[in-house]
Amino acid sequence: MRALVRSNPSILWFLGLLAAFCLGVTFLAEATGTGAISTSFVKTLGKTLCLCLVAIAMDVVWGYCGILSLGHMAFFGLGGYAIGMWLMYARTEIIVSASLASAAIPPTPQEVEDAIASQIFGVVGASEFPWLWAFADSLVLQLAMVVLVPGLLALVFGWLAFRSRVTGVYLSILTQAMTLALSLYLFQNASGLRGNNGLSGLQNIPGLGGVPQSVVSIAFFWVSAVALALGYLLFAWVVSGKMGSVVRGIRDNEARVRFLGYHVEGFKLFVFTLTAIVAGLAGALYYPQAGIINPAEIAPIASIYLAVWVAIGGRGRLYGAVIGAASVSLLSSWFTGGGAPDIDLGFYEIQWTDWWLVLLGLSFVAVTLYAPKGIGGLIDLVAERRAPSRSRDLGPDASALRKTEAAE
Amino acid sequence: MLRALVLFLTALLACAAPPAVAQDSQLQAILQTHADEVADPGRRSVGPLIDDLAASGLPGIARFLDRWSNKQVFLNAGDGLFYYGARDGETFALRDIASDEPVGTAPASALEEIRPNGGVRRVIGSALVQFQLSDPDRATRVDALDALARRPAADQLEPLRASIEGEPDPALKARKERLAGLLTARFGEGTETRVAAIEDLADATDIETRAGLNRILASRSEVAETLPEGVNLARVLEIGPDLSEADAYSRLVDDGLAPAPVTNAEVKTALTANIQNGAVAGIPVEQLSDPDRRTEAYAALAASGAVPPLVTPEAQAEAVASHVFYEVYEDPDPVVTEAARSALDTIEARVARFQVLDIGLDAVSLASIYFLAAIGLAITFGVMGVINMAHGEFIMMGAYTGYVVQQIVPNYTASLVVALPLAFAVTFAAGVALERLVIRHLYHRPLETLLATFGISIALQQLAKNIFGTQARPLTAPDWLGGAWVMGDVVAIANIRIAIFVLALIFLCVLLYILKRTRLGLEVRAATQNPGMAGSMGIDPGRINMLTFGLGSGIAGIAGVAIGLYAQVTSEMGSAYIVQSFMTVVVGGVGNVWGTLAGATLIGGLQKGIEWFNPSNTLAAQTYMILFIILFIQVRPKGIVALKGRAAGD
Repeated sequence: MRALVRSNPSILWFLGLLAAFCLGVTFLAEATGTGAISTSFVKTLGKTLCLCLVAIAMDVVWGYCGILSLGHMAFFGLGGYAIGMWLMYARTEIIVSASLASAAIPPTPQEVEDAIASQIFGVVGASEFPWLWAFADSLVLQLAMVVLVPGLLALVFGWLAFRSRVTGVYLSILTQAMTLALSLYLFQNASGLRGNNGLSGLQNIPGLGGVPQSVVSIAFFWVSAVALALGYLLFAWVVSGKMGSVVRGIRDNEARVRFLGYHVEGFKLFVFTLTAIVAGLAGALYYPQAGIINPAEIAPIASIYLAVWVAIGGRGRLYGAVIGAASVSLLSSWFTGGGAPDIDLGFYEIQWTDWWLVLLGLSFVAVTLYAPKGIGGLIDLVAERRAPSRSRDLGPDASALRKTEAAE
Repeated sequence: MLRALVLFLTALLACAAPPAVAQDSQLQAILQTHADEVADPGRRSVGPLIDDLAASGLPGIARFLDRWSNKQVFLNAGDGLFYYGARDGETFALRDIASDEPVGTAPASALEEIRPNGGVRRVIGSALVQFQLSDPDRATRVDALDALARRPAADQLEPLRASIEGEPDPALKARKERLAGLLTARFGEGTETRVAAIEDLADATDIETRAGLNRILASRSEVAETLPEGVNLARVLEIGPDLSEADAYSRLVDDGLAPAPVTNAEVKTALTANIQNGAVAGIPVEQLSDPDRRTEAYAALAASGAVPPLVTPEAQAEAVASHVFYEVYEDPDPVVTEAARSALDTIEARVARFQVLDIGLDAVSLASIYFLAAIGLAITFGVMGVINMAHGEFIMMGAYTGYVVQQIVPNYTASLVVALPLAFAVTFAAGVALERLVIRHLYHRPLETLLATFGISIALQQLAKNIFGTQARPLTAPDWLGGAWVMGDVVAIANIRIAIFVLALIFLCVLLYILKRTRLGLEVRAATQNPGMAGSMGIDPGRINMLTFGLGSGIAGIAGVAIGLYAQVTSEMGSAYIVQSFMTVVVGGVGNVWGTLAGATLIGGLQKGIEWFNPSNTLAAQTYMILFIILFIQVRPKGIVALKGRAAGD
């Protein structure tokens, strides 16, 4: 652990800042503090923490391993669907049981299940549970699904793709095709997950009916923060040490690593699957706070935005992904939510709800062109000033050096 | 004031007196000779009248018969003549029986409404068919044939046959002959006549014939303990594959051959109704959440006679097993149904072949759209190794260019002629600008090009939304592109799709020419194979890249106009094509026009093929197609047409 922290001084900084941030939010929240921050904003912050977690995963798979996956939001969405199924089932079960309990004769288990099914699937014209929902009544099994479904999908997909040495742009397109196929499939009413209606009412946690949303939101906020901290530690561990060197080597020159005798496919598959699982977990924390999940969340554009966050924040540094995801997603909701003041040019009034995406697109181009290190590069500048290093950085350029070489 | 008074007096006069001018006409004369039959028609007595009318060959007879049966003919008691009448307030407006011109009004009291009964109306109706079938107006004849095809009846056969001879329109004549054949097949006298008619029908493919044959093959399903003798059996239904056991049992129930099963809901209602002191038949209510206890309680109730007994699943299975379920043809003649079945099979086999052709044409047209959308991408990706995520937005830009041109040039043909080169010019310029400003700086970082062009793509998409709004804009095709090319009764392809196919073909040829026969093409190919070497041979790679990117973008613009003509122009139309275009390029193989063609053909054909199996679900078709592509990449990672040797680069 000490070695890990020494090689990654950012861990302490990150954990400290995160803890300070969480305490600050707790003291300002409605349920636990002064109420300066509204419940909905606490939810937004909690969701942002989940997005930061999936951004770290994306950073590891792209910034460290060089696989530009345009499909990680699919894993995120699958995690959300997995937990959403239990939330919806359990909550509907409570409602249905309450309404059936008033009948003269107590209902049979089959009647309860039928009533739940017609309650959930009435909207797509079905009244029976598809096989997908076989485990929906069990929280433990659905939590296992949160890990297993994205993990298995990533494992199979990654195995197929890496085995046939699909790399670079091809791999990106293939991952994009995967997420497109998944979202198109889920858009069908026959998919068993309520088609384009998605799963809704997820913010109502079964068994916590009496607890106000302000408390639920702060609880989820803390859970998300802990998950983010653990995720940061996990990935800091993954990208440091010997394995981290191999992973970075794959990014910089895959063929050379292979000729050195490393099993490149195995490392790539490990990173791809691990990040997919973390993405699934992040999704499972995100959607109970968002309240609704539908196939549009899995559309290719979502994964591309994920890449945008990581790129703007700075690839190849874990805190860069966090900075990118937090700043861009919060700015985005500030601009599109009408928070930003409109600019009157005299002949034309720039309304940010309309022009924010133009600004984002162009600034993304600018970052790619002129600041490949992203915002995280600024931190490098500061760090550089404090402890000038004569070595070249370990960044994603072709000139990356070995770790020991850089340390000299 | 004076004017109004005059009008009022005139109206008063017209009402008071029956129409002054007695209408002399041949039609009226014939009607007068049969005045009793017209005024009070009977089913048998109208025959001579209709024969007389038919023999006269007068023009207004069809109209008369039609209105006669619709109770619009009136007998004016004043002059004893027949008129068409329509209620107009308290009075009736009268029209002349022959010329259908207004002749005045009459009070209701002066008129006798003629009401032919149902039997007479049928006679009139079938007589009317004969007049309508030989009506000089083509539309009337078509209407009559449509009505005949919808509701064929035995008595229409003769009038139909009679009208074939005088039919001037060859298409209608053919249709009449076919319908006559169908009617003969269905209502003809004697087995041989009908079989012969059916065999004549076997070389048709149209829906009318198929429906007609299906009517002959109409069957009803029956159930009995043993298979009866002497019926024209269609088939015996097997429990399982043809008929589920539950359906079979409910059929037994419908026929009164078995007791109705007691549903769970009925059990529940019965139990609820029989709760006594918190228990049903001695079983406490709390225990009734267990299905077994419920059955027990219900059985106890049934034993006491309070409710009908449960039908056990075993009893249901036994009842089903002891009966035969079968279908019987409505038509009692087995020879005829046999002939109809084999004729229908022949027809359906032929229709299936035509449908394959139709799907093939659909696939070709889809493939040409994909080709148009993807070829620009293939050029830039192949030559420069650059993925242009904004390619879809160039397609959109071209479509919007077409829309703007159409706002300025109102003539659709002329605007299309202007729009195509203009779209090319606009997107060419945009492409060159993109290459100079962004892509040039990212040549050694392909993944970052992907992201940078993606940034451009969101910016362009939102820009288009800001300028043109979110609603779809129409790009109207000129009339000569509007119709469809119909072949036979099954195959039809819209002209616009043929035009797109031709456009794709032209582009294929032009591109092949540019790449293989021009100086620019030579330089492009050199830069593709080995940029460094090409540079040292005096080729300016920067210029080549710029021109290639411009060319690829320009083609996207033209594709945009073509796509906009049959789909709506929206700011998101590009993103609908971008992934498909990438698939096309990746499957086809990079850097090769033929590869893109092969990829587009494969993807277009595949998508249509999958849709054929499951036509209602295009979403599923796309899902399966993408899965197929992911697996295909496993087998041929470099695409269908893979470059070999040095050209492959790497």
